[in-house]
Amino acid sequence: MLVRCYRGKLSVWAAMCVLVLCWFYVFPVYRLPRDKDIVDEVLRQGQVWQKNQTGIDFFRKLLTKCCDPRRKFAVTKENSPMGKVLWYDGEFYHSHTVNNETFPLLVKDNPLQRPLKKCAVVGNGGILRHSKCGRDIDQADFILRCNLPPLSKEYVEDVGTRTHLVTANPSIIEKRFQNLLWSRKVFVDSMKVYGSSYIYMPAFSMKTGTDLSLRAHYALGDASSNLTMLFANPEFLLTVGKFWKARGVHARRLSTGLFLVSLALGLCEEVTAYGFWPFSVSLDEQPVSHHYYDNILPDKWYHAMPEEFVQLWNLHKSGTLRMRVGRCSSPKGGS
Amino acid sequence: MLRRRMGYADPSSGKDILGNRSLCFMFLCAFGLVTLLQQILYGKNYIKSAQQFSRLKGDETGNWTGPVNFSDDGSLKPARNGRKRCFRQNFQPDSQISVIVTPCLADIKKKKKRYLESYDGSYEYNSTACRELRQEIMDVKVLTMVKTSDLFERWRNLQVCRWEQNKEEAGNFKMSLSRCCNAPSFLFTTKRNTPAGTKLRYEVDTSGILPITTEVFKMFPDDMPYSKSQYKKCAVIGNGGIIKNTKCGKEIDSADFVFRCNIPPINEKYSADVGTKTDLVTINPSIITERFQKLEKWRRPFYDVLQNYENSSVVLPAFYNTRNTDVSFRVKYMLDDFDSQRGVFFFHPQYLLNVQRFWAVQGVRAKRVSSGLMLVTAALEMCEEVHLYGFWAFPMNPSGIFITHHYYDNVKPRPGFHAMPHEIFNFIHMHTRGIINVHTGPCT
Repeated sequence: MLVRCYRGKLSVWAAMCVLVLCWFYVFPVYRLPRDKDIVDEVLRQGQVWQKNQTGIDFFRKLLTKCCDPRRKFAVTKENSPMGKVLWYDGEFYHSHTVNNETFPLLVKDNPLQRPLKKCAVVGNGGILRHSKCGRDIDQADFILRCNLPPLSKEYVEDVGTRTHLVTANPSIIEKRFQNLLWSRKVFVDSMKVYGSSYIYMPAFSMKTGTDLSLRAHYALGDASSNLTMLFANPEFLLTVGKFWKARGVHARRLSTGLFLVSLALGLCEEVTAYGFWPFSVSLDEQPVSHHYYDNILPDKWYHAMPEEFVQLWNLHKSGTLRMRVGRCSSPKGGS
Repeated sequence: MLRRRMGYADPSSGKDILGNRSLCFMFLCAFGLVTLLQQILYGKNYIKSAQQFSRLKGDETGNWTGPVNFSDDGSLKPARNGRKRCFRQNFQPDSQISVIVTPCLADIKKKKKRYLESYDGSYEYNSTACRELRQEIMDVKVLTMVKTSDLFERWRNLQVCRWEQNKEEAGNFKMSLSRCCNAPSFLFTTKRNTPAGTKLRYEVDTSGILPITTEVFKMFPDDMPYSKSQYKKCAVIGNGGIIKNTKCGKEIDSADFVFRCNIPPINEKYSADVGTKTDLVTINPSIITERFQKLEKWRRPFYDVLQNYENSSVVLPAFYNTRNTDVSFRVKYMLDDFDSQRGVFFFHPQYLLNVQRFWAVQGVRAKRVSSGLMLVTAALEMCEEVHLYGFWAFPMNPSGIFITHHYYDNVKPRPGFHAMPHEIFNFIHMHTRGIINVHTGPCT
């Protein structure tokens, strides 16, 4: 009896060990530079930035080859006809077939066909607070924001007012708007801040997100809101995830900000990123809150924000996109 | 015990316990017990109703269960009762129905007097002829006592008499209603009769108890919007196919207060018959669940449907069982979202229970009273005079012509849930007693 039990335990341990080894083989241990080092490097770089047209073109070609953001970034009637199977990118083996209930909800064609000139991707990092970047951001032709950020008067100076595309995470709808099952007025009213922009929801990433995202569409449609709902194409999300994984971003899932940056890099001539700063101290060693509107820390193991930042910083250094960290004092800011 | 542990089992031990004779005995005992239980449960009715059922089966059920094709345009097929019938062309200028089935001439001659040819309401209420006719209906104590065709005939004959409210009877009836149910203060849940923190018991016992949180409490109206005998003339519109082609729309619209059940369509196609005025309309949550996906998806279509009923309030049986609650609350939320001024009310579960008990005494025994009966009960307390249109739960109208189940479709309800024929029979009695006015014929 005892012997048998012992043997069983041994085999389990052996299997576990093998698993761990496999894990290390697939995801080798890597060392991220410490926060302090990154801050130092950013400081050394300073505000200097040189646009690199060939770099931009090259990177866009790379993105187009892997993910084709121009045609695939949203689920449209064109790329997902009736009966198309959408495989969820955040679930294991789960799919949704486009049926006559979901098909009429899709946009007809990809709305972002035209080449965009100047894009601004606005992250929600606490670094934006008191940055006075609002005017800079508003000058862009196309402004992308993440996760329904508040644009109240308090923050206008720092984050601007205009929005062209804003992502909405289904979990926000679950937490802030009670799944949209009861009163929907609060939701519809809070969306008025974003004017007539696109709402980009990852409807087909998680099982729970589908109903919520569709419900958000219904709510906006009922209120005849002038926002347009776009559903993220799980294929695009998946390929972008792979793209960055190959470049050393190891996380369960990319952050929305990186998705938007990839989208912007694929669509726009010139991309500026604001508010990407996943560290707790600012450049002048002041403590910084996690978001510009609150300080709720995310699940540690879900996103790999510092890695993403390092990747973006590399792109900044090569002149492919511009990261704005710290204050923008707009008259002198262009230096 | 010892044996079992030793691994032995006596092969004959089982036989002793369940031998043939003991099995027989147990069988007999069980049978006796069941019969006894039935006797206790159903009382005397058990044997009586069985007899009635067998008689019904003999010559009546053919009408009810037979494969009858209901065509939408009021088929002119006569009801076949296994009894000889004569057809007579009846040239009435304004009625759509041209064939009326009447008993054979020989039958008529046998009886004393017939008023078939005479016009609706030409006889005074208190004339001796009318008294006789009324007595004829009152003689029918139970629905199953006579053949339905016989009842129809008596009912048809009564149509010649003008209806008049019997003040005494009506007063007594309203008195007993206010004693049992008291609609003017308990019809809906209000802030007054259901304070926050109350533990509201669902109508169906198994659904349990709902604590009234402030969130729920906020949805209730401050007080009952209606008072006792507030309105002079009320109309309760049932959805029976009988209302089709009656042209009662104008008469209905002239009432002071109009009740409707289960958001029926009142568009141009039907408005000539059913009118358009609506002051109170009930919604069955099952309709919302089936037709509007519980309001979890699009809400505008449902809102647009409600817009048809101009200023009417909406009543929902939210506290019937747990499934209804969420859907009903969602209706309130939805109307608030659309900035609608429409009142949303929830039936008080205790009121409905009282109504059910009240009618059970009167002979309507069903799992649940229909929403039509609920509204009639409420109307009796809220109005001085109650008129019923479109209440008829038989497959054919009093003249024996097959009608559709609803005036807008022919979808049959779940069997065994409501006891519609009994309810209608009650209404017929109440009409005869002068408490309510049941309209089954065309309006003039």
